Amino acid sequence: MNAWMEDLRRQFEQDLAQAAGLDQLKSVRDKWLAREGGIITGEMKRLRDLPKEERPAFGQAMNQLREFAEVRLEEVRTAVQKAEQQKSRKQIDVTRPGFPFACGAQHPIKQLQAEIAEIFVSLGFKVFDLPEVEKDYYNFEALNMPRNHPARDAQDTFYFDDSLLLRTHCSTVQVHAMESMKPPIRAVSLGKVYRRDPFDATHSPMFNQVDVLVVDQGITMGDLKGMLEVFLKKVFHTELRMRLRPGFFPFVEPGAEVDISCIFCRGTGCRICKQSGWIEILGAGMVHPKVLRMSGVDDSRYSGFAWGMGIDRVAILKYGVNDIRLFFENDLRFLSQF
Amino acid sequence: MKISIEWLQQYVELPENLAKLREDLTMAGLVVEAVTGAPDAPVFELEITSNRPDCLSYLGLAREIGAMYAKRVKSGRAAKALHVADLSIPYSIEIRDPDLCPRYVGLVLDGIRVGPSPQWMQRRLEASGMRAVNNIVDITNYVLLECGHPLHAFDFDRLRGGKIIAARARSGQKMVTLDGVERELDGEMLLINDGSGPVAIAGVMGGQDSEISTATKRVFLECAYFQPASIRRTSKKLGLSTEASYRFERGADWNGPPAAIARTCRLMQQLAHGRVAGSLQDVYPVPINPVEIELSCKHAENLLGVNLKSAFIQSTLKRLNFRPVRKGKGKWLVECPTYRADMELEADLIEEIARFHGYQNIPTTVPAGTTVGEPSSLYPYERSVRAILLGLGYSESINLSFANEQENRCFPLPEGQALQIRNPLTEDTQFMRGWLVPGLMRAAKHNFNHNQRSVRLFEVGKVFRRGEDGAVVERNSLGILGTGSLSPPNWLGASGDYDFFHLKGMIVGLLSGLRCAPAEIEPILQISWLDEATSAALMIGGRRVGVLGRLDPDLEEELKLKQAVYVAEIDFQELYPHLFSAVRFEPLPRFPSVERDISFVVSKEFSYHSLRQGILELKIAELAALDLIDVYEGGQIPAGRVSMTLRLTFMDREGTLTVDRVQGFSDNIRSSLRDQFGAENR
Repeated sequence: MNAWMEDLRRQFEQDLAQAAGLDQLKSVRDKWLAREGGIITGEMKRLRDLPKEERPAFGQAMNQLREFAEVRLEEVRTAVQKAEQQKSRKQIDVTRPGFPFACGAQHPIKQLQAEIAEIFVSLGFKVFDLPEVEKDYYNFEALNMPRNHPARDAQDTFYFDDSLLLRTHCSTVQVHAMESMKPPIRAVSLGKVYRRDPFDATHSPMFNQVDVLVVDQGITMGDLKGMLEVFLKKVFHTELRMRLRPGFFPFVEPGAEVDISCIFCRGTGCRICKQSGWIEILGAGMVHPKVLRMSGVDDSRYSGFAWGMGIDRVAILKYGVNDIRLFFENDLRFLSQF
Repeated sequence: MKISIEWLQQYVELPENLAKLREDLTMAGLVVEAVTGAPDAPVFELEITSNRPDCLSYLGLAREIGAMYAKRVKSGRAAKALHVADLSIPYSIEIRDPDLCPRYVGLVLDGIRVGPSPQWMQRRLEASGMRAVNNIVDITNYVLLECGHPLHAFDFDRLRGGKIIAARARSGQKMVTLDGVERELDGEMLLINDGSGPVAIAGVMGGQDSEISTATKRVFLECAYFQPASIRRTSKKLGLSTEASYRFERGADWNGPPAAIARTCRLMQQLAHGRVAGSLQDVYPVPINPVEIELSCKHAENLLGVNLKSAFIQSTLKRLNFRPVRKGKGKWLVECPTYRADMELEADLIEEIARFHGYQNIPTTVPAGTTVGEPSSLYPYERSVRAILLGLGYSESINLSFANEQENRCFPLPEGQALQIRNPLTEDTQFMRGWLVPGLMRAAKHNFNHNQRSVRLFEVGKVFRRGEDGAVVERNSLGILGTGSLSPPNWLGASGDYDFFHLKGMIVGLLSGLRCAPAEIEPILQISWLDEATSAALMIGGRRVGVLGRLDPDLEEELKLKQAVYVAEIDFQELYPHLFSAVRFEPLPRFPSVERDISFVVSKEFSYHSLRQGILELKIAELAALDLIDVYEGGQIPAGRVSMTLRLTFMDREGTLTVDRVQGFSDNIRSSLRDQFGAENR
């Protein structure tokens, strides 16, 4: 009897396997389980013709077969139904463009300013937000540039009246910091500065600077070099060489011009560095004793260093921008590149 | 300054390799910006900083190079003293203002024949960037370039009364200078006068009347030392800068005139048939002492962070013609050369030591000590504003801080508050900006002109005004601009143009992102540059902190914008104290909320704000939110009325709301709207 049952089972499975779609599945059900003419139903009817002692075993086997068929039919029906539902769900074309959400563009100068301010905070500096309309005293006098000092020539200045002007550099931080803090001082200021230079590709009457002051006991020119190196590497995100050569700024002595190895040709010589391998990047030096004294710092106890750098110039170098005016036109085609 | 290598070689031996010389000069602080001239006649273009007027000459540069390479400087021909024979012409020199003219040396030459100077001299002058004129003028220029001391040659026969008087001008006095310009003088300018009037503006430019001409027979030579700041002031005030004033204002050598005049005299004898005819007069009432500075090796070491040998310090100073006198171990009293106008303090000497030690040989160290870094007080707020606005699709801009006449007129400040620049560069820099909006508009217009009509910009920057007491008030401001289509063309069908409610919604979103104290947008406002029908004030705590709205359509037309532009300007300093209010956690509700929508038609006389206030005044504690979700006008809605749908959200923190209670609340609201505002249910 087992062999006979197995045979039925196999036949049923074959039918199931051949059924495609819900309709054919229904036919399989009808073929095997229909009240009238179903194979299993028909076999059950044979129960009556069997000898009494065989009936329970046969009945049990047939019930098992029917249950099995029903479970299998349901299983397959669910699977087929799911497949058909999936098929009928609309397929989207994922290659079409998404909704045009867009972030605004960061201004390269603001981005650099934020980066630089964070570098200095991490190095223990206090960031000063200082006035752009400034007293002559803070911009010139207290930085050892009295009236009729020829160094003022290099900084043609916008005036409001005899004593009020637009700051020509952020070096005003030196005086403000020394007036408001006692050593040890680590101060920095970033922002707009102004000079009466007509617009061209490399000049603008308004540009941006960052100026630094460190005053403490025992500060040396070696310290200036050390901190400059740390700073420049962080700003340019690259290994670079740096060199200092004598330079003149009335508020420092000794004074230095600072060059970095050309970031385009890595020092081998190109158009940007005029074949020299070096790019002038900032001015620096040891704070002039007169500047310390004028702001009430005892120059026999304390020394310090200072430097000032054009942020626009760094952006020009870093991103290869060919015209400073682009920074202030706010052309979206320009801004969206940063 | 242009330096001909051929000429320079007359005074000092140069290295074979000019590239090395260029590099060494640059590293010594004398930057060679370019090498020009023919290959066989190279010219160095040097940038001489304003502290080193002593290097503005061939001899000065030769001294520096001599010190660099330990070579002797051949200055003999320039330095020889002058012996004067024929003194037949009497004249006098008087200094009335020795504070402005400490020293004046004069000499008269007779028998002069004015003509062209020799070729070699012309070539050298031209290689150095000067034009040849005639032998007399060329010789004075030649000596100026050679030893760095300016001289002036007068036609002696045009000087009246045989007198030279150095004295301050009378205020308002006038004279015509060599360049043919009549100049008005003031009482602080030093003049050189003859017996009857001015013949030169001292140290700046000679007068036209006594100019050397082809007819000149007798020459009066002037070689003086003038006070630097006075020359600078005169030159600046007259807007007249010359080779002479450039050197005098930076500081000439007060001991330079005798040698310079001797050299000039000799050249005029050789090249212009000159013969000394009037005594060499050196008027020098109060001799100026050389500068003496104390120097300590320890101080130099401490400032530079290097170890130095006394012998090195001493030899360096001597090479540079300083005279160090030992005052104990590692200490000197140093007498400075009188041509080093930059020497004043010990630090100046230390720089000389550092230059010759080599900046590159100073070891790199890290400053000791620790301090705690601190960002500027506004920075955290600015950073958040920036992050939010960038996320909302607004690009950050930096606009010029200036305003022109038109902007000043179209975006007026209260009477007397506009901050005017006394010496503007162009008409675009006449004023400091009082608002950020005009700059944003300019940027928007720039973008329109380049076919970008959908623009969102913001700026955080300073605006400037004159306060009531005349002092300048500088404030941080936040400007925002939006215009054009809401999103780029897209197949998803989202479209439409930016309007007031996008601007307002963005500002409300920004404030919420900044955890701002409750803010209100109120309609009452009189800002001339905003459209009266579409403008509002941003109020926080009863104070106006900003304005927003559509730009005045007349202004849009005047500025040829051709599309509606929405702008906001928020006083950042008023705003930031209200930001990042303290957080107090409120437990999340444990019971579900229930929503009810109510629709009604109401007269447009009532603002949404007043309807909302009317509902809030019912003080239904369970009303958790109130949102306007639909507005409809026209169609079956009578004119002057508007249909609105409000979504009411109710919630009870203590338990689940029953249908009856919710119905009660919304009935209460409906009847209140009906009674207070005549709203009809729909």
